[in-house]
Amino acid sequence: MTCRDVQPRLSQFVDAELSADEQAAVSAHLDTCAACRAITHDLTRVRDAARGLGPIAPPDHIWLEIAGQIRLGEHPAPGQPAPQDIRRSAAWQWLGLAAALVIITLGAFLVMRLQAPTPAAPQAGNGQAAGSVESVAQELGLALQHYDNAIAQLEMLAKNNDGTIDPATAATLQKNLDVIDRAIAESRAALASDPQSQPALDSLIDALRQKVGVLQTTVALMNEIRRGNQEGAARVVAGAGKS
Amino acid sequence: MAPSNSVNEAVSGHRDLALAERCRNGVAGAFEELYQAHAPRLFGLACRMVGRTDAEDLLQDIFLTAHRKLGLYKGESSLGTWLFRLATNQCLDFLRSRGARFAQVTDTLEEEPPAAASAGTMRSAVDRLDLERALTTLPPGCRTVFVLHDVEGLEHREIGDLLGISEGTSKSQLHKARMRLRGVLTGRTVVRGSEG
Repeated sequence: MTCRDVQPRLSQFVDAELSADEQAAVSAHLDTCAACRAITHDLTRVRDAARGLGPIAPPDHIWLEIAGQIRLGEHPAPGQPAPQDIRRSAAWQWLGLAAALVIITLGAFLVMRLQAPTPAAPQAGNGQAAGSVESVAQELGLALQHYDNAIAQLEMLAKNNDGTIDPATAATLQKNLDVIDRAIAESRAALASDPQSQPALDSLIDALRQKVGVLQTTVALMNEIRRGNQEGAARVVAGAGKS
Repeated sequence: MAPSNSVNEAVSGHRDLALAERCRNGVAGAFEELYQAHAPRLFGLACRMVGRTDAEDLLQDIFLTAHRKLGLYKGESSLGTWLFRLATNQCLDFLRSRGARFAQVTDTLEEEPPAAASAGTMRSAVDRLDLERALTTLPPGCRTVFVLHDVEGLEHREIGDLLGISEGTSKSQLHKARMRLRGVLTGRTVVRGSEG
């Protein structure tokens, strides 16, 4: 066998996929040919390195966007009918979205304002109870951090609205976000003055959840409009109106 | 005593079916559990097949399609295999939409003269990042075969089925990919022509 015969077979040789006769013939050639031996050596290294290429962690915002799409009902659970009867124009849908979001967020804001701040009674505890309180506090801290991270990423995506969403809808979304931000600030202030206040904590988590929801809606809407998918945008809007 | 493989497979199969069922029923956190378990492998596949930028959009499409089609999953294979196949098909559809063909080879590796003995050789193990970068220089056809065979461990028969090419073509594409990668990694890049 010459180099010209051997070289096209070298990948199969390193994978041991040649017939026994061919495998032996290539092996015999390699004993006498440094160039082909070098190629074989390199191909083995490339193959072995490829086997070591592992999974790649996707950025967090991808899951947030998927969850947003699913939550908005664009992708209903299997077996449930997809929303089909979307006859209203996109403009009317956006107005519907704006109205729905204003009602939802203002409603939530009012509910939070009306909640009487009843501080939780201090609990007598032993060392074990103190430990569990600490671990709960740690978990709460992590949960709040999780929301903050999600919001930061979604805000970054939403800021890329280079005119994709029309100014009126964008202004309404921003107005809603401002309302929620005020609720977040008030809840944080209440928690700062009374870290044990359960209503303040509930309000904060609820407001953070709503902010994630509004931002997910914004990003999903931008994605659909950029794809030129008017129906998809309408479904996002319809889904937000239902939530 | 360690449980046998068949017992492990049965347990794993039962777990997959249960997770799919929880997703179908809209149980809170179920679909996120499925995403967290499988997204890194599928994102790796998509990054290597279509490039990082498009992979992000593609990963969303893959999981939204999976969410929609989970009703079709009956447990004939593991959820991981089912998702991998779905993801591969979506990556291939994406490449085809960009005009990539998998059987046609427009460059002529086979006609190149045999490598000279003095040519550079890799002195050490291949760095992972160097290999990832080198992968991006491959034409889509042979890159796909390389990723499916050498990274993901598929057989040529399975690759042939997925891509609609013969086993022989899969083998020659793999050899072409490895030779090109060798060229890039040893600084002797020979990238002539491209695959449509």
